[in-house]
Amino acid sequence: MRKLHPAVTLLAMVTLAFLYIPLLAVAIFSVNATRYGLAWRGFTLDWYVKLMHNEVILSAAWNSLALAVVSTVVATILGTALAIGMDRFPWTKKAGTTLDLFLHLPVVVPDIIFAAALVVAFGLLRMISSIFEPGLLDMIIAHITFQVSFVALVVRSRLASIGRDVEEAARDLFATTPYLLRRVLLPLLLPGIFAGAMLAFTLSLDDFVISFFTAGPDSQTLPLFIFAAVRRGVTPEIHALSTLVLLTTVLLIIGMERFTRK
Amino acid sequence: MKKLTVLLVAFFIAFAGTALAADKVLKIFIWSEYMDEVNMPKAFEKATGIKVKLDLYESNEEMLAKLQAGGVSLYDIVVPSDYIMPSMIKLKLLQPLDHSKIPNLKNLAPKFRNASFDPGNKYSVGWQWGTVGLMYRKDRIKDADAQSWSILFDPKKDPGPFCLLDSVREMMGITLRYLGHDFNSINPKELKAASDVLIRTKKRTSCLGFKGGVGGKNDVVANAAAAAIVYNGDAIQAMAEDPKHLGFVVPKEGSEIWLDSMCIPAKAPNPDAAHKWINWILEPKVGASLSNYNHFATPNQAAMPFLDKKDLANPGVWPTPEIMKTLQFTKDLGKDTRIVDQAWTMVKSH
Amino acid sequence: MLWILLFLVLPGLVLVVVSFATRGSYGQLEWSFTIENYKRLLGFSVFGWTADYIIILWRSVWVAFVTSLIAVILCYPLCFFICSRPKRTRYLWLMLVIIPFWTNMVIRTYAWFLILAPEFPPARLANLLGFIPPNTPLYPNAFAVYIGMVTIFLPFVALPLYSSVERLDWSLVEAAQDLYASKVRVFTQAILPQTMPGLSVGIILTFVPAMGMFVVPDLLGGAKYMLVGNLIEQQFGASRDWPFGAAVSMALMVLTMVSLYLYRRKHKDMEFV
Repeated sequence: MRKLHPAVTLLAMVTLAFLYIPLLAVAIFSVNATRYGLAWRGFTLDWYVKLMHNEVILSAAWNSLALAVVSTVVATILGTALAIGMDRFPWTKKAGTTLDLFLHLPVVVPDIIFAAALVVAFGLLRMISSIFEPGLLDMIIAHITFQVSFVALVVRSRLASIGRDVEEAARDLFATTPYLLRRVLLPLLLPGIFAGAMLAFTLSLDDFVISFFTAGPDSQTLPLFIFAAVRRGVTPEIHALSTLVLLTTVLLIIGMERFTRK
Repeated sequence: MKKLTVLLVAFFIAFAGTALAADKVLKIFIWSEYMDEVNMPKAFEKATGIKVKLDLYESNEEMLAKLQAGGVSLYDIVVPSDYIMPSMIKLKLLQPLDHSKIPNLKNLAPKFRNASFDPGNKYSVGWQWGTVGLMYRKDRIKDADAQSWSILFDPKKDPGPFCLLDSVREMMGITLRYLGHDFNSINPKELKAASDVLIRTKKRTSCLGFKGGVGGKNDVVANAAAAAIVYNGDAIQAMAEDPKHLGFVVPKEGSEIWLDSMCIPAKAPNPDAAHKWINWILEPKVGASLSNYNHFATPNQAAMPFLDKKDLANPGVWPTPEIMKTLQFTKDLGKDTRIVDQAWTMVKSH
Repeated sequence: MLWILLFLVLPGLVLVVVSFATRGSYGQLEWSFTIENYKRLLGFSVFGWTADYIIILWRSVWVAFVTSLIAVILCYPLCFFICSRPKRTRYLWLMLVIIPFWTNMVIRTYAWFLILAPEFPPARLANLLGFIPPNTPLYPNAFAVYIGMVTIFLPFVALPLYSSVERLDWSLVEAAQDLYASKVRVFTQAILPQTMPGLSVGIILTFVPAMGMFVVPDLLGGAKYMLVGNLIEQQFGASRDWPFGAAVSMALMVLTMVSLYLYRRKHKDMEFV
């Protein structure tokens, strides 16, 4: 703990305000009883009520959720397998670094390049088989691809911090590999796997760019819906929807923190 | 592990379930705010038992891009404008209509039964037609000033914040007309001149950028903009709710007249339902309720007696012969569309 | 591993191939190969030479750079502040930073529409200072884009930087102060080197994605301030020119690779994440 120059504190406060004022504005205007303009006309929950009856929004929310859950599940499995495989398998140095490079690609490459590549690739694949229509399947595949990297990276760092000792001890006690995996490694890795899964889940829920390029008519997600609606003209219902999304995010984060604290 | 598999299986079943209900669903891909998006689908469902799902777009090019990227097998009905239909036909994106399923075809006015871009209604049935013009706020811009496109393009005039139209052919065409050229010009020098005007205009601080479809109209209604280039029906719709503050005019230099039609994509999942929809829209009362809602002009002759008298008398909806003289149809340019597209990319990127 | 290979590397290769293809007259993909797309990128078009696309590429790099810079400048005080709090409340302050990080990018961006609206102080101030005519919103323009970008990327810098600042050995700083070093030197010699790991991660996590951003420039810049992301999006959307879009993506990829290479050279022993 230290004494801070008041200017530093001021700047810090300003920065935090900068982050939050727009969000607060959205929340405030979601309960403003006026359709146009920004004059305060009284408190109302009308817009939230309208939201609940809007089928399009509800289906978009469902899509976002379904997409996130399915892709997270698959990505977590693949990512964990990848991390363990990369760490424990005796790769040659060269193979190891190339794999490492590929693993980092989705993390560092701007997602628009990735999205553009997928659009083209799916377009070509579509000529072979029609399951590659833009839509939920395409989006799931796309999401899994970038999620796997994140999960693998998180799990790998956890693997590194676990170290080999426990494993060697188990081997000394004549443990077989499947047993080793199930009873020793996986339980130890669980926090890492869980963290990776959470990361993947949130990334998928919030994803915009990749979903934008691979979505089909039935598979609009919430971010896509909000984007299209905002381009058409901002309405209080959008504010209401956004506020709800914000609140859900906050609750999710607080819940997550509580969960991982124990 | 077992729990996971159960979960995954459950999801796949859920997906499959939605697929099975397919023949009771009609998927429409249409411009936003083009019909009563809540009640019209309900009315159709009541009449035929088929549910309607809407997906919206703001410009023809956006629609075409989606279709080319795979949407051709995802939608049952699309509503393209006249000029883009020849391209769609050449790209094999549309399927021919089965006239035996559309007995109400006889309700169309004769001039819409043999359009130059689709003689004999092989692929399309007229939906609505209209113009593009200037919508403005009467409390910020004088009626007299709005009569010319120069209110937007002349740097010496300051109309207040304004929106341009995010539609390549229509926006370029209007600028070309402003400069006295043909709406459908493919002359590189003329296109460059038009691009330069557009670039200069968009860079002004009062320009709020390009908005597609109903974006500009919504901005004017919300008083975020003083003027916007809009489709006539959208403007008249808004004016009906606020006639004191809103005005619409087709500026004297000229503009576009367009016809949107209903078409069925080549690989539509439910063409049967699509034909039912087209036939239903052609019913006199339904056609009239559509036009009375969106304030565009209808190609449906049998619907005329049921139209709102105010709309019939409104030159914004049914243009007078003088205005008609200044309007041009957007032409399909075939290979030459490319040069206009490149000019447009230049306008947007500069 | 197979998955990544299949859905990541292959599409990348396809993209490279497509960037040499031509756009058919109706916007479909034609497999006649030419370098025309790249020539257009460099400015040679049927309308005479324009530096438009090069400007856009440059602009994207510049915006990414400025965004990272501003974010760093704002994050140091923020991190110092959080570290100065007692250990128990630090956690809460961190949460305040994390929450916007997880919040949807589209929402955070369009929220600025409200703040920058004509009736509110920022726009009114700009009007008073003569930057914009009365009753105009403070967007779309370059300024709004910068604000939006910084808003989005602040947490990306703050979190890694915080982990470095937390481990800061303040005794070194105090030593520098005791030796009467100027405030600037205290910072550059004592603080900066120690926080380098976190700072670099933060910068690379900001700079590279910022170059390819398109949501913020699209909503807050309109078509008035285009970045590479918008250009690519436009080609895959309304312009239906996949080959050109692919070529532009390649250009962005090259910029990304260059940045990463420079980063790697500077921090040879730095471990990612």
